[in-house]
Amino acid sequence: MSTTLNRDGSSKNRVLFTSILFMGLSHILYFKQYVKGILYAITEVVGLCLIPFFANGIYNLITLGEPQPNVPVKLRDNSIFMLIDGIMILTVIAVFLIVYVMSVRSSLTEYRDFCRNGLKNKAQNSVKSIAGNAFPAIGMAPAVLLILFFVVVPLVFSACVAFTNYSAPDHVTPNNTVDWVGFDNFVTMFGGEATWTSAFGRVAIWTLVWGVLATLTCYVGGLIMAVVLNESKIKIKPVFRSIFILPYAVPAVVSMLVWKNLLNGSFGIVNRTLMAADIISGPIPWLSDVWICRAVCVLVNLWAGFSYFMLLIMGNMTAISQDIYEAAKIDGASRFYTFRKITIPLILYQTTPLIIMSFTHNINNFGAIYFLTGGAPKVADSTLTSAGGTDILVTWIYQLTMTLMKYNYASVLAVVIFVVLTPFAIFTFRNTKSYKEGEL
Amino acid sequence: MKSTAGQKILHIFVWIFLIGTSFFVLYPLVYVASAAFSPQQNIAALNIIPFGDGLTLKNFVYLFENTDFPIWFKNTLIISVATTVSTVFVCALSAYIFSRFRFTFKKTMMMSLLVLQIFPSFVGMIAIYVILLRINGLNTLWGLVLVYLAGNIPYNTWLVKSYLDTIPRSLDEAARIDGASHFLIFRSIVLPVAKPIIVFLSITSFTAPWMDFIFPKLVLRSSKVQTVALGLFGFVTDKKNMFATFASGSLLIAVPFIIFFVITQKMLITSLGGGAVKE
Repeated sequence: MSTTLNRDGSSKNRVLFTSILFMGLSHILYFKQYVKGILYAITEVVGLCLIPFFANGIYNLITLGEPQPNVPVKLRDNSIFMLIDGIMILTVIAVFLIVYVMSVRSSLTEYRDFCRNGLKNKAQNSVKSIAGNAFPAIGMAPAVLLILFFVVVPLVFSACVAFTNYSAPDHVTPNNTVDWVGFDNFVTMFGGEATWTSAFGRVAIWTLVWGVLATLTCYVGGLIMAVVLNESKIKIKPVFRSIFILPYAVPAVVSMLVWKNLLNGSFGIVNRTLMAADIISGPIPWLSDVWICRAVCVLVNLWAGFSYFMLLIMGNMTAISQDIYEAAKIDGASRFYTFRKITIPLILYQTTPLIIMSFTHNINNFGAIYFLTGGAPKVADSTLTSAGGTDILVTWIYQLTMTLMKYNYASVLAVVIFVVLTPFAIFTFRNTKSYKEGEL
Repeated sequence: MKSTAGQKILHIFVWIFLIGTSFFVLYPLVYVASAAFSPQQNIAALNIIPFGDGLTLKNFVYLFENTDFPIWFKNTLIISVATTVSTVFVCALSAYIFSRFRFTFKKTMMMSLLVLQIFPSFVGMIAIYVILLRINGLNTLWGLVLVYLAGNIPYNTWLVKSYLDTIPRSLDEAARIDGASHFLIFRSIVLPVAKPIIVFLSITSFTAPWMDFIFPKLVLRSSKVQTVALGLFGFVTDKKNMFATFASGSLLIAVPFIIFFVITQKMLITSLGGGAVKE
């Protein structure tokens, strides 16, 4: 096989074939890029050597181990380790394939370059220049690896668990093995068992209602505060602004736990104050009546969340160009008129994406519910499903995982959240400036 | 300007509104301060008039002498500093590459980041637990830092990338023609210019570990390696109510944060308005 190429582009297929045959081969044979070629080749050799290991891992992923009741617990097959190891192996293989595609693309680019400029000289193939060209790959590596192993693998894992019977009491490692069960858990959750289905329906609806109410109250609250502070002519405005920033500055764990104790039905400060002032005769069940408790969640969340929107909207108001106001003033528009026709529309326009982001945040707002109510009060099915009256999907996932150890049902809920929220993410993506300008 | 009767009424109305809201905002915070200095340990015994029980420092003394609070504080500080430094470095570097280079799978990667960032990372907590078990990262501070760092990357890379997109390319291209290496350009040109967004990123990643509960609970098992949020939560569980100790600990955490946020509010407003909104 000749190692010289035609410069008219006719050797493209030969380059393509060689580069697919073995990683880095075309770099060494045709382009005299020994360092790069050898690095690629080593990657492939390592990959080939690991094939038995990979195959074993994937076999375990499919079987998830065999029950071995006669073997000591420590030596039994651990299905969960097998599942995670299998997913990690698949991830490594995916990375390997990506490097493969990159090597093929790189040799095609080299060939195009060769057709135009001929063979590169030594300086251009030096280690320094290769390091420069590889900068994007090297720079992205930490982020990509961390995301793969600490974000993607766990997510794929929990998606997989949704299709297994990993749950207490009969299928928890290391005593027992776990098996694939197909769509059984989804069937149970969406119609199979009345208790679970009704609990799911109740929690899902409350999650949506909560998401909408929490976002709207905080947004409107923040908007009103920002407008009042910006438009009023009160001299000590900075004092009020500093007070209104406080909820944003206090860690959420602290403020939620404080509210929880203040609102406690029997010994909380709020009830005792109201009773001492003779406004109520008996204690109000702030956190033990389902509907009052839900209202309290929204109100306390308003307390904790309006500051952020107030800051955002104030930032937006200061960013609006003064020229527009000058122009409106010259045209004889009144203060109220400019406010209604210029300030409000501009702020609404600029903060709409943030409303969507805040909605997805609130759907997942673990702290606001868990620290305030812990999902309480209990309702009819709470003992079986562990879902209380104010539990939203994420807190229910937490309860299912930590208290009931029903990992399979928790994962079904995780899949539901994923399916519901992904369209929002894609919507945000399509609304970004760089996407619209076709840069990506 | 002449003030009419209508404007006067509006003025009074605004005052009432602002004072009413301030009362609502300050209400729980006053009781935290009051309980922290109160001789009554349990919330049931706490006087409904703030500071009505007299003042004492015994809760703070108890906190430092009988609990691991100083260790929790130190642990949390180490975790936040390490998370902040690594997050800024990794996110800024990836954002720079996303903003300035063209490479294979770029669009797919950008899209995945956005989908990943809306997903609460604790959903995969069992897997994270097992992975940390496998690399001996359980019950260690660095294990938790790794989890936080990985969770921070998707959203913050987007944030910094959007900011870098608004900085003219000519700035770093000039240096590139002069032969500066990519990393040198990143360190000496891009980082200084991106300072506003980096400051914002540092603040958010520094404050998060002080408030997070789920991952410390998962990763850190013994009291000697716990964080402040976990320790404070332990004071007010269903089994015991040491509200005064909890309040004094909370006060020690909240006061530095409040001072910081009140001092930097001007900067917060501009960076939130200018940085975060422009996608």
